Amino acid sequence: MTRAIKGWRRSGDHKGPGDHKGRPYGGRCVRDNARATLVIGTLLVAGCGTETPSVFEPPAETHEPPTSVGVVLPPIEPQEGDGLPETLPDDLVWVTNEDDPVYASPQAKRGGTLRTTITSFPLTLRRVGPDSNGSFAGYIRPNQFGPVALHPQTRRAIPALATHWAFGADGRSIYYKLNPEARWADGVPVTANDFVYAVQFMRSKEIVAPWYNNYYTERIRDVKRYDDLTYAVQGASPMPGTEMHATYSFGPQPSHFHVLTDDWVAEFNWKIEPNTGPYKISQVRKGKYIVMERKDDWWGDESKYFMHRFNPDRIHVKVIRDSNVAFQHFLKGELDTFALTLPFYWHDKATGEEFDNGYIAKYWFYSEIPAAAGMYLNSEDPLLADESIRFGLAHSMNFDRVIDTVLRGDYERLPTFQIGFGEYDNHDIKPREFDLDKADAYFNAAGFDARGGDGIRVREDGQRLSFKVTYGVPEHTERLVILQEEAKKAGVELKLDLLDSAGSFKKMREKKHQIAWSGWAAGGLAPGYWEHFHSVNAGKPQTNNLTNHANPEMDPLIMAYRVSASLEERVALAKRLEQMVHDSGVVIPTFRVPYTRAGAWRWVKLPEWLGTRTAASLFSPFADTGGFSGGGLFWIDVDEKRRIRDAKDDGRALEPVTIVNTDYRRQQAG
Amino acid sequence: MEAVVLAHLTDKLALDPLTVKQFKRFRSIKRGYYSAIVLGVMIVLSFGAELLVNSRALVVSYQGELFFPTYGDIIPGRTFGLDYDYETDYRELDRVLEERDGEDGWVLMPPVPYDALENDLRSGVYPPYPPSIESGHYLGTDSTGRDVLARLIYGFRIAFAFSFLLLLCNYLIGIAVGCAMGFWGGLFDLIFQRVIEIWNMVPTLYVIMIVASVVVPTFWTLAAVMVLFGWTAMTWNMRTSTYKEKSREYVLAARALGASSPRMIGSHVIPNTISVIVTFIPFSIASGITLLTALDYLGFGLPPPTPSWGELLNQGTSNLGSPWIVYSVVIAIALVLVMVNYIGEAIREAFDPKKFTYYE
Repeated sequence: MTRAIKGWRRSGDHKGPGDHKGRPYGGRCVRDNARATLVIGTLLVAGCGTETPSVFEPPAETHEPPTSVGVVLPPIEPQEGDGLPETLPDDLVWVTNEDDPVYASPQAKRGGTLRTTITSFPLTLRRVGPDSNGSFAGYIRPNQFGPVALHPQTRRAIPALATHWAFGADGRSIYYKLNPEARWADGVPVTANDFVYAVQFMRSKEIVAPWYNNYYTERIRDVKRYDDLTYAVQGASPMPGTEMHATYSFGPQPSHFHVLTDDWVAEFNWKIEPNTGPYKISQVRKGKYIVMERKDDWWGDESKYFMHRFNPDRIHVKVIRDSNVAFQHFLKGELDTFALTLPFYWHDKATGEEFDNGYIAKYWFYSEIPAAAGMYLNSEDPLLADESIRFGLAHSMNFDRVIDTVLRGDYERLPTFQIGFGEYDNHDIKPREFDLDKADAYFNAAGFDARGGDGIRVREDGQRLSFKVTYGVPEHTERLVILQEEAKKAGVELKLDLLDSAGSFKKMREKKHQIAWSGWAAGGLAPGYWEHFHSVNAGKPQTNNLTNHANPEMDPLIMAYRVSASLEERVALAKRLEQMVHDSGVVIPTFRVPYTRAGAWRWVKLPEWLGTRTAASLFSPFADTGGFSGGGLFWIDVDEKRRIRDAKDDGRALEPVTIVNTDYRRQQAG
Repeated sequence: MEAVVLAHLTDKLALDPLTVKQFKRFRSIKRGYYSAIVLGVMIVLSFGAELLVNSRALVVSYQGELFFPTYGDIIPGRTFGLDYDYETDYRELDRVLEERDGEDGWVLMPPVPYDALENDLRSGVYPPYPPSIESGHYLGTDSTGRDVLARLIYGFRIAFAFSFLLLLCNYLIGIAVGCAMGFWGGLFDLIFQRVIEIWNMVPTLYVIMIVASVVVPTFWTLAAVMVLFGWTAMTWNMRTSTYKEKSREYVLAARALGASSPRMIGSHVIPNTISVIVTFIPFSIASGITLLTALDYLGFGLPPPTPSWGELLNQGTSNLGSPWIVYSVVIAIALVLVMVNYIGEAIREAFDPKKFTYYE
């Protein structure tokens, strides 16, 4: 899960201001330090982000066609079995995937402008390097295609920049054949050279991106160009085919564009990099807005899975610093869509004339979004080391009451540590329910059989049954106070330790917490266990094993899971590991948001089926939503826009539209 | 003989005629005087808030035995024949006993039967609930179903206690340092002036934010940080007043009589600068309350779920659809600050030397 598929999945910040808050998890617990520092950086700079507005058109990019063939990679410390063959092996089985169903609507019309918003102007237009992880990354990175994409319904690989691919005999290398039509935004063909260059680029110190430096050294072991349209990449360990795509395939870098100097970070800060996706940045007004334009002759338009997608001609991204203000813009029709994931927005704010008169439609779409949010119990804590206390604690948490009240019954209880990975999910696990009798039995077994004067359990030695819950999202306080009050019934005291998001993340990573209330930006194709539960990550700072769980029985299974190339075996192992996590009681799973919700003016049209099985957002203008190529399905009907506007001006009411789609909703077990 | 004793006694007991005049003057400024009375009553009442606003009953009579649960340990539900070991839900107990027609006893609840922390949640309807006399939420509830009135009252108590503590510490340090600077003057004064100037440059709010992002501030740590940066304000006033007083003849006389420095400061200088100190007190209280409210509003104040006005204000502004939250807290803040300022003005006027001294 958190196997760091950097080039693949992006959090959908472009979805709208409310959305990221609506996630059930702390949201900020991301997988690498680069992101964590980002949070602080954004906070510090947010206050002084009012640059003098200046309009500049991107300079016309006149580049020489690529002449340098054969980029030389800097040497890395070799490991056993590293290195791709010098010549293309003869026994490769080239495959492609043109058989999966199409999920875009043929009724889609090109044209119009999608007006959307971000909360702060980006600090850079670079794809990597300092400050590049801001919310605008959600606009830049999904717009950069890799060799393959993932089908959002079948979760299988589909062609993107590459038309065909083949797996190497070592189980950890993939060979790609590129689409000869593929072009950069400046018209230069995409060649195998750009992929070799990408690795060189990502490994270079000049980009000041330690996470990428490390990833492209440790996980991407080798890359080789065979001819202009054929190249191969080798990863660090074997895994099943589709996951290998998801993990080891990366997007190209324009070798004809970059000049790596010590000053690269500053020099390329505002340069518009050529990309491979359907849109390119056409206008930048610093501090105010960014306009992206649809490429007229985009290479992907002929491809089966990209046809009828990415329909708006322009995307106008406006900076609106406050989400309440942004919502007012939306009501006035100055923004086309708005994320309504938060219960408060959907139920309270998104009401009134515009909705009742049917000018704005509301969509509630259930999908299979990976989720991992929970209370991570630090098993090195003297109290929480005791299994009975962990189980008792789980039975003292009244999540249903939180869901039924402040969460309006919208969220669901997360049954286990992580879910939403299709066949990997273990649906046999039932979460421990709020049950005072069971809690009582467990706490008695742990010696906490008496209650003090304040109703909190005490042990014979005077130790109180009191825990500190560390969290970093102020909006979650209302959930925690209910748990806190309910836990008192079981004789448990919860103390709320609210820090700012970077501070709480730091405290958790340093393992100084008792209970961490958090979540992981789960994504990808398969759940991850090594970083969260392997004993090498327990008991030391700066790892993602927040529970400090070390189980000698689990370790070999985790390693087997990591290196197995058989899907069947991996699924079986994942299910077993998930069960072991549940049995250990170190994680009390909290909530999941199994849907995406949005409001959209009626001129923004969606296919009949609204979205795909894995959609993290219905109105993402780009390919990627939640790691799968499911975005860009909507279109803007310019004639309809006129009609709706007229109706609104005349005060004519239309039929109100609220669509709840439960096609991909999994009924909660039990 | 009797008359002499009486005169002597009046002399000893009665207040300084100047003080009496000042008090009369204060009383004649009606809005300040009444504000003082109202605020005084509110403060006294808030310290007995448990008897007025509480989910615990005042008195429970159960099977002939009387219970007073307000203060002290919790009484588990089993004591009253309910089937749980956690604290009795007295409102429920009230209903249960009433259903039995009072055979087993009765419950006397406080006027507001909710405390500041409990979530009164009902199925099917979502908080915040609007004000209702029937449910006992006279000012409605916040977004997690906690009673707004209860949180206002307990929040007021905390804010006031906090601000009073802050005042006490700030003044203690500020007066001591300020007096010493004014009294000794010279190099000591010079050095301390520079120290305070530098110290003043530290942005208090940022320090508190940084502290709050590293540790969860408690009542005491927050007060300590604020005192650390708050004591300087009082030094300047005390320094000038002391400079002025120390050159007066009575101080010289005391010095001539061989009084020690602490005696001169304690018995002569400070009592004569008291009017400066007193006039500042109400404004310091007001600023203390404002500061805590602002910090809580921003989320850097006392940890949740401590009842606080700032937190209510924050909830109110993000739940404008439930206006009772924001109305309640804004009106409460405005009222208290207006009253404190009226008192301050009245004191300042009462102590205004121009009314009583004639310079020739």
